[in-house]
Amino acid sequence: MRAVCVAWLFLAVALISGCAGRPAGQKAATTSITIAVVPKAVAFDFWLSVKAGAEKAGKETGAAIIWRGPSDERDITGQIAMLENFINSRVDAMVMAACDSQALTPIVRKAREAKIPVITIDSGVDDPSVPFVATDNIKGARIAAQTLVKLIGGKGEVGLIPFVAGAATSTMREKGFKDELKKYPKVKLASVLYSESDAAKGMAVTENMLTSIPDLAGIFAANEPGAIGAARAIEQRGLAGKVKLVAFDAAGSEIDALKRGTIQALIVQNPFKMGYEGVRAAVKAVHGEKVPRYTDTGVAVVTKENLNTPEIKSLLGR
Amino acid sequence: MARNKDDSGLRASGSAAWRRVADWLRPLAALLVMGVVLSFASPHFLTPNNLASVAVQASAVAILAVAETMVIIGGHIDLSVGSVLALCGVAAAMIMSRGAGIAVSCMAALILGLAAGALSGVLIAFGRMPSFIVTLGMMGIARGAALIITAGVNVFGLPSRFATFSVARWAAIPLPALLAAAVAAIAHGVLTRTSLGRYIYAIGGNAEAARLSGIPVQRVVTALFGISGLLAALSGLALTSRLSIGQPTAGVGYELDAIAAAVIGGASLMGGQGTVPGTLIGAAIMGVLRNGCDLLRVPVFWQQVAIGVIIIGAVFLDQFRRRR
Repeated sequence: MRAVCVAWLFLAVALISGCAGRPAGQKAATTSITIAVVPKAVAFDFWLSVKAGAEKAGKETGAAIIWRGPSDERDITGQIAMLENFINSRVDAMVMAACDSQALTPIVRKAREAKIPVITIDSGVDDPSVPFVATDNIKGARIAAQTLVKLIGGKGEVGLIPFVAGAATSTMREKGFKDELKKYPKVKLASVLYSESDAAKGMAVTENMLTSIPDLAGIFAANEPGAIGAARAIEQRGLAGKVKLVAFDAAGSEIDALKRGTIQALIVQNPFKMGYEGVRAAVKAVHGEKVPRYTDTGVAVVTKENLNTPEIKSLLGR
Repeated sequence: MARNKDDSGLRASGSAAWRRVADWLRPLAALLVMGVVLSFASPHFLTPNNLASVAVQASAVAILAVAETMVIIGGHIDLSVGSVLALCGVAAAMIMSRGAGIAVSCMAALILGLAAGALSGVLIAFGRMPSFIVTLGMMGIARGAALIITAGVNVFGLPSRFATFSVARWAAIPLPALLAAAVAAIAHGVLTRTSLGRYIYAIGGNAEAARLSGIPVQRVVTALFGISGLLAALSGLALTSRLSIGQPTAGVGYELDAIAAAVIGGASLMGGQGTVPGTLIGAAIMGVLRNGCDLLRVPVFWQQVAIGVIIIGAVFLDQFRRRR
């Protein structure tokens, strides 16, 4: 009984303090707009760069940024619930990266019916009318394929490590890489294994790849956890430099592996620009201005040689 | 719940001991059949390097599965092991990358794991809450804490000496696999040769009867979860050494792999039943299956189907045998 009383007391205090906070919040809401930014996951350097970009745009435009996302990018239902809550709490606009291109489409439509503009970044939804700010992943993966082919001397067997099957970004990188490889008849795609965005699984599948294809010439890892796992497996087998590794993204641990000579090239997106352009587009949409359907934020090929040039340094935010 | 009296474990009669061996002979046979089939199907399977890889790949889950087996035998479940693994792994990595010694960092991580597990144990045993709920909560708390202390970023720049543990071998056997084997041997010894072990079987068989017969149920349950947290931390250290980074998102879903390994190895979620050797074989079956599918280039989706079929099949055969 006593415990129940204490619980009620807590609840009452929480409610009162919540109410007390309300007027100040309302006042702020009339002077500025609130934008929810929902990434696919809150971990990983990539999303933190998106956050930094979103916050910079928020400061410049005077918009308040709410940053919330699922802790795991496979948590599709969790992301849908988050967006539902943002719709119900009447944010002014939402900037989001879809965990799944199909599953998130209905909730995006619901937001637009509620007159809340939605801008997708990095991973879009299956509705071309929703503005999309992202890397052209197919183009990026094509560049990855060209880079890998050059590194292995134009012939040999290569492996591919996408991350989550069905996720739009993963699927596009898989497609871009495969399409580009078709142009090189002497290069054979011998194995495709998924990392499930878990470095330990990425490492295990790379080991299995190296075991089953003893003269593997190169690997393309389509995101950060896969790249970390692949780099580690290659190092442990003493194959650094012999098996060429090209990877997407530029997390600290990936740049570390690039400096060590295990990764030969990184295909670097511009997540900062995604967050920045995404929020700017959202602010425009709130003010009723027109927003372009598609904004390509571009990729750069980063190698040990160009790592310290000024433009790459500024892209990596160092 | 109709249960055979001999299974209660209070009486260490010869027939009960033999029954427990028979429990894990079946999964062992399944593992051997898989091994033979794969040896014919892929020339790369039965090579020392590949077998070493499988052993290391399976060792992290195997350590968790040993912990899970003890908890399951005691009639409980621990859903927090994957998250505690991540928390302790990144904690050790962060302490290490700030220049502290390897031994100190590892010790701190082990204490953290023990504390997290014991906290769950106290809430379950003395707070009289279901383990499913408490460890579900701890799963979120530990995962959140791992993300908070790392700000969501992988911790790298660990001393290379720490990373060499996972590569080092002793008589051709990789050290992480030896670590898993040592953990299993100790756990097996505790379960079969100590009073604590007999208490665990008794509590899982019938907690009320165990309490009435004078077994300190609450303390044993607290100890069980403390051990589980400690082993999760140990597994986290092994995984961190293998990747040479601390990853706050490591181990997502590993608790389910650990439970599956225990169940394939003959543990019953009703409690009172299960063996460590059986669980090790269960973990090996899952590891070999994943490795075999990768070597044979079986599409990844079929791997998941295959593992699901094996889990259900193992339990089905078990039920069928019991009913007879």
